[in-house]
Amino acid sequence: MTGDARWYEAAFVVGITNALNVVADGLAPAGGGAPLLAPVEDSDPRDEVRALFADAREFYAGVVPLPLRVVAHDVGYAADLWAAVRRAFTDNTLARRFKEALAFAVSLTTRSEFGTAFHLGEMRRLGVGERGVMEVIGVTQMFSSYTKIADTLQLEPDMGEIAPVDPTPVPDFAP
Amino acid sequence: MPTVRLRDESEYPERTRKLLEASKQWFDYEFPAAPAMSRVMGWDPHFGGPHGRAMRRAAMPGEFGRAEKEMVAAVVSGVNACEY
Repeated sequence: MTGDARWYEAAFVVGITNALNVVADGLAPAGGGAPLLAPVEDSDPRDEVRALFADAREFYAGVVPLPLRVVAHDVGYAADLWAAVRRAFTDNTLARRFKEALAFAVSLTTRSEFGTAFHLGEMRRLGVGERGVMEVIGVTQMFSSYTKIADTLQLEPDMGEIAPVDPTPVPDFAP
Repeated sequence: MPTVRLRDESEYPERTRKLLEASKQWFDYEFPAAPAMSRVMGWDPHFGGPHGRAMRRAAMPGEFGRAEKEMVAAVVSGVNACEY
């Protein structure tokens, strides 16, 4: 995974995944209880909401993710959030299928009920088989062990020199 | 500063030193010394051995490539706020 572009993309997926999970798990937790903030329904009369939900449905094969519904009370905010989500998860230097695997790993690590189920579903929808799912679970679980062992013993980084420095400029940069 | 003294490779028994050498091959990188985590896991081969095998089994190329899995590992480490 050489080249900074992949790592920037991965970081954006991690960040926006956590942002969605925070809202979903915090305000509309699974388990049958009433959400603290009611998700906006499809019947909402605002044209901006309909357009936003239509775009989300197109991206997610008919589904509007719960956290997007929760924040759609402020549709201007939700539209910008959605633009960032869509950009982060669109095929680029990293494939969307793999980005969903990253989001699943993040959600599992942070114990997000919403994110774990949502991104597991997306991985499968995008063609990841049970073997692939187990691979991501295995790496996530083992590195949830390594990180805690390293932290407990306060190990200092000693593998940072492996990756070569990427000399390329920011995309679209014109001196 | 680590809370334990990380032993030099020469302080490990021969069998464990081979495992430390194997960890360098896994990363395909000529470390000046075996990585700290490898030396930690070498402390108890009855723990570190199966732990390492489970990690390598999960990280082998399969539906996802080795590089992709290293990125998953980096992301999990980042989310866990692990500096190592």
